[in-house]
Amino acid sequence: MSIQGFSHGNRGVGIRNHQLILPSVVCSTHVARRIALTVDGVTFAHQHGCGIIGEDVAGIDNFFIDLADHPNVNSVLIVGLGCETIQGQELAAKLLARNESTKYQIIQESGGVEGTVAGGVESAQELSAQFVPAHSEVPTLRVGIDIARDISFTDELVNVLQESGFETVISNSDSSSAQSFSHLAREKCHLIISFPDSMQPASGFPLIPVINVAGRSPLHQAIRADFDSDEESLLATVVDLIRLVAAGTQTVAEKNKSGEIRAPRSVRSV
Amino acid sequence: MAPQLKAFKRENGKWGLRNHVLILPLHSALASTARAIADTSNGAVGISHDWSGEVDSDLARIVFTLSGFASNPNNYAVVFLTIGNSQEDEIITTAQALGLIRFSTISLSEVGSMEKMASEALTAANTYCAEAQAMQRVDAPMSAIVLGLECGGSDALSGITANPALGVASDRLVELGATSVLGETTEILGAEHLLAARAIDPEVGKRIVAMVARYESSINYEGIDIRGAQPSRGNIEGGLSTLEEKSLGAAKKAGNAPLTGALEFGEKPAAPGLYFMDTPGHDIEQLAGFGAGHINVVVFTSGRGTPTGSAIMPTIKVSTNTPMYKSIPDLIDLDAGTIADGIETLAQVGERIFNEILDVANGRLTKAERGGHHEFALSRMYKTIVR
Repeated sequence: MSIQGFSHGNRGVGIRNHQLILPSVVCSTHVARRIALTVDGVTFAHQHGCGIIGEDVAGIDNFFIDLADHPNVNSVLIVGLGCETIQGQELAAKLLARNESTKYQIIQESGGVEGTVAGGVESAQELSAQFVPAHSEVPTLRVGIDIARDISFTDELVNVLQESGFETVISNSDSSSAQSFSHLAREKCHLIISFPDSMQPASGFPLIPVINVAGRSPLHQAIRADFDSDEESLLATVVDLIRLVAAGTQTVAEKNKSGEIRAPRSVRSV
Repeated sequence: MAPQLKAFKRENGKWGLRNHVLILPLHSALASTARAIADTSNGAVGISHDWSGEVDSDLARIVFTLSGFASNPNNYAVVFLTIGNSQEDEIITTAQALGLIRFSTISLSEVGSMEKMASEALTAANTYCAEAQAMQRVDAPMSAIVLGLECGGSDALSGITANPALGVASDRLVELGATSVLGETTEILGAEHLLAARAIDPEVGKRIVAMVARYESSINYEGIDIRGAQPSRGNIEGGLSTLEEKSLGAAKKAGNAPLTGALEFGEKPAAPGLYFMDTPGHDIEQLAGFGAGHINVVVFTSGRGTPTGSAIMPTIKVSTNTPMYKSIPDLIDLDAGTIADGIETLAQVGERIFNEILDVANGRLTKAERGGHHEFALSRMYKTIVR
């Protein structure tokens, strides 16, 4: 049984058709959000892009490049400030080398906030008009598995998914799932099944549908409505659930627009 | 004649220059909900951050930042969004100890879902908003003003125009009994001896020198020489040659007043006067530290221009050069480039900045406030993740 997705050129075939409005620095996150709200794009707040030194400069740059290159992304508009460490134009040049569906808008060169919003909205709409994805079969669905609590049936889960023709990538995290999500996004997973820590809530990731599986902890039982499944019913239903989500059904975290990205940092800000 | 100031008097004697209702998520998974609630409310503000309750080496710093930010006197009330854990309880009780008076806690585990959390928090926020809007400003002393001094995107004119002009305004406020706080340890590296020499007693001077040394070694232990990484690319394009040149210009924001004390990141000044606070140069992390330290108005000088603002502190932007002021008019409140052009003197621009601080303290909205700029960032000292 094939899964239909969106052909996103060099990024691959995705199960979502997201336009990413990517702020290259914390200073442009608010402006990026205004543009995203207008064009129905996806963006996220972050606190990086400037005041970073050492290996973090390349680290953050590469993290943004990987997010922009995710198969669920149709096109990318970078919103930069102009004087930051991660320069918007340079990031755009690196993205353009892989995907032509990339544009940028720089606040200090666009007459300020209103000019950036107007120019950014126009550029984002141009990208959407120019890059209309063809519907295409997803060659192999990559499913990320975030394991942040003890799960007794990991092997069975992996078997069930692989028997259905899905690739699996496992990420173990100590407590919060946010770190795993960033890792699984870079591994180009189309969707993620998350087993959050018993003391952590269900959460999402901006570009990727996350299926949250509740455990038996008091917190998870109290907020069962925020989860898509639970440990008892998962194995019997997971393949159908994945197919539904891959076909476009929103997960609870997608509906709630829940989740912030966690970027890798090695050194304090200066 | 003494300048007139009207502000919001809190039950504990503190003064707010604004009367905000803050939606404060205590978990990153609740951050987008917080922003959405703020957007649909009748005037509440919200922030985002990426902390998910991790218990690590940065926990104390994060608890201190969030509890200080919540208890800032510019907040009329706070609506905390929690998942229901002990770190969150610690933030709320610390905020109360720091002076937070009115708050509601909407716990995810009690309401049962994010959807219900959003509707309950919205109801709580709107109730507070109605109360806050009915409250009147009353006559306030000049000591009600706690000013933060910040610069970002510095250029070759920063140390000649906007920063010394801000120093004139800061000196005048301190003389009238207000508090003024210079931040950005990165930007006093190489100029710390000049600040230390102005300390009211030798101990304060020693603390400043020690803070700078501690800061430098916190970077050096990673094998990086901060003096090679600063000035930033944007600064160099703006005409700055060395970190020392940048620092000598940046320190001018603090004028010539004697230095009363040195504050840790997010620490409240105990009495009026001029202070130094140990913060990163990262503009948004610094603003979070200022908010945590109960600063209630900020002046931000810039050579390159930035939209930056804070959810709770009015942030007045001053340009160092006129071409930038003209090129991004909706970001900058005042132009100090007129000094370089010979149109105005330092004293005249200092007077304009002083008057603007008073007008804004009395309620006039800054451009960042009108634009709804609520950037926020947590300052961390240690590694997050490396994969």
